[in-house]
Amino acid sequence: MSVTADATAVIETAGLRKVYRTRAGRRVVAVDDLDLVVPAGGVHGFLGPNGSGKTTTIRMLLGLARANRGEMRLFGETVPARLPAVMDRVGAVVEEPKFVPTFSGRKNLQLLARPLGIPSTAVDAALEQVGLDTRDRDRYGGYSLGMRQRLAIAATLLKQPELLILDEPTNGLDPAGIRDIRDMIRGLGESGVTVLLSSHILAEVQQVCHSVSIIGNGHLLASGPVADLVGDNTLSVVRVYVADPDAATGILEAAGYHVARAGDHLDVEGAQHPEDITRALADRGHYVRALMPVRGDLESVFLQLTRDVTLGGASGPLPGDLDDTEDTDDGDHHGEDRR
Amino acid sequence: MRLLAVELDRYRSRRAVAMLVLVATLLTVLLAATALWDTRPVSWAERARAEAQLQQALDDPQLQEDVDDCRDNPEAFFGPGTTSEQCADFLVPRLENFVPRATLDLGKVVHGRGTALIVIVTSLLVIAGATFVGADFTTGSMSNQLLFVPRRTTVWAAKGLAVLLSGLVVAAVLVVGFWAVLSLVADARGISTPDRVLWDVRWTALRGIVIAACGGLGGYAVTVVLRRTVGTVALLFAYVVGGEALVFALPFQRAGEWSLANNALAWIHDGARVFDDNLPCRPGLAGCQRSYELSLGHGAAYLGGVLLLALLVSWLVFSRRDVA
Repeated sequence: MSVTADATAVIETAGLRKVYRTRAGRRVVAVDDLDLVVPAGGVHGFLGPNGSGKTTTIRMLLGLARANRGEMRLFGETVPARLPAVMDRVGAVVEEPKFVPTFSGRKNLQLLARPLGIPSTAVDAALEQVGLDTRDRDRYGGYSLGMRQRLAIAATLLKQPELLILDEPTNGLDPAGIRDIRDMIRGLGESGVTVLLSSHILAEVQQVCHSVSIIGNGHLLASGPVADLVGDNTLSVVRVYVADPDAATGILEAAGYHVARAGDHLDVEGAQHPEDITRALADRGHYVRALMPVRGDLESVFLQLTRDVTLGGASGPLPGDLDDTEDTDDGDHHGEDRR
Repeated sequence: MRLLAVELDRYRSRRAVAMLVLVATLLTVLLAATALWDTRPVSWAERARAEAQLQQALDDPQLQEDVDDCRDNPEAFFGPGTTSEQCADFLVPRLENFVPRATLDLGKVVHGRGTALIVIVTSLLVIAGATFVGADFTTGSMSNQLLFVPRRTTVWAAKGLAVLLSGLVVAAVLVVGFWAVLSLVADARGISTPDRVLWDVRWTALRGIVIAACGGLGGYAVTVVLRRTVGTVALLFAYVVGGEALVFALPFQRAGEWSLANNALAWIHDGARVFDDNLPCRPGLAGCQRSYELSLGHGAAYLGGVLLLALLVSWLVFSRRDVA
């Protein structure tokens, strides 16, 4: 499969594959045949369990890792070949912030900015934007995790990017910091910047993102606007309050519903029409005290889609176990493991 | 050029690099100070004592007998080729044989502390080059840098050039400073140095500066491959301890031609004599000679080849390998 340049897409991948080799010689498939499209503008969530290939995909897009197979485009340009032509338009934080601990926050940003001719006033502005302007001359090694995260975000803002790729940007931030960053991401998205937000905090993604892509086992599982995904994938669950939950359970199961007892109420799946539940119970002399549809959320969609994926990365090696010498042999995949 | 300026700034701003340069400076000062102290002018009392001892030696009747015997058969005394005219030169003591210290002789310093200085500066610049890029990998800041300048060859070249240029400046300041101080003191002490020795000093210093800066570049190149400063230091240590011993243990004639140390000495000193037990015996003044000369050209070709190979591997690895 090949990528065809989509004028409205900022990121496109097709058939993307990455195989790592562990130090023990074991091959681990991190990304497998991934087709991803991120439309221009707005905030796009990038979700997946630990080890599902999110960070590896981001690293390949940014030229930090080589793909074994597949095609990638940023702003319609094939990468990594044309990466230098588009990189000025991309800001990114990959995994945890990475700066020189003995340099100050300001010095770290200056060293990144100067090769591109970015003026020091831009450094000042970026530091102020993330609230680090009063601690900019402190050593980075003495920064808290939240401050490091802010500095990483400040670095991405130096280039005034059209595409911002953020990998867990609120890690280590306090609640006020999380809100600030969330507002900033939302504001950037509304101002026309495309933001690819990789996050584990699904509620945060649902609040901020216009669209999402969910991956598991290195594959794309679902992609589209958040509202559509939640609507398409939410189970029809109706919460029912009755005087005798045990008797009501028997009646509804006999009527073909899947019923889960939860405290003083029942969660009934498979009810497309709630009035059918009312009727079935009333016909047997049980009257509903309250009935409400349960709204789906991104978390339930995510868990549903990734149900078969081992959460927590237990099936894959830790990053430290990986030898980043990539395997370019695509012919034989026997004996491969998945992360 | 902007990237090179940034890399130069990054190099000189690294605390570890600053510490290594400080250590190199202190050791240079120490070497110069000990060279000057060990050759400080003798006092009047020391000179008087030496003159008395000289006179006592000259008055010894055994001395004249030895000189006469030597003149009768000079080759029996000092080996083939010795003439009777040389007997007095070799046997009659002079004042300098009795003074407690030699005078400052730049020609001797070149082959002593001058060489030690080059070895020290080179070693420290190797570690500086290694830690400069090793820290980029261990802190992860290399990936950050590549997000701003994705052309890997450009980044690799700018860093390498920064290491080379910085190494040239550091080595030049230390080596030239060392010789400038010694020359000034020699002048102040009224010691005249022959032009031949001055040329030797200048060329040795220049070659020392080049090898020190290239050593830093080599440390950088190896660390790009290993991605750990400690890996490069361990490799150097393993080579110094085991590699050189292995070269000399090889049962081949002229195996020493492959020794890094021999070639470095041949480069620094415009040739080096290598002793090799595997060579057939060749009669000489001091009996059986088992040695050969390693030329400056050989040293240059060997060291240049090793450096180019390291740079090539370094560039290939940096261009292709994933960066965490």
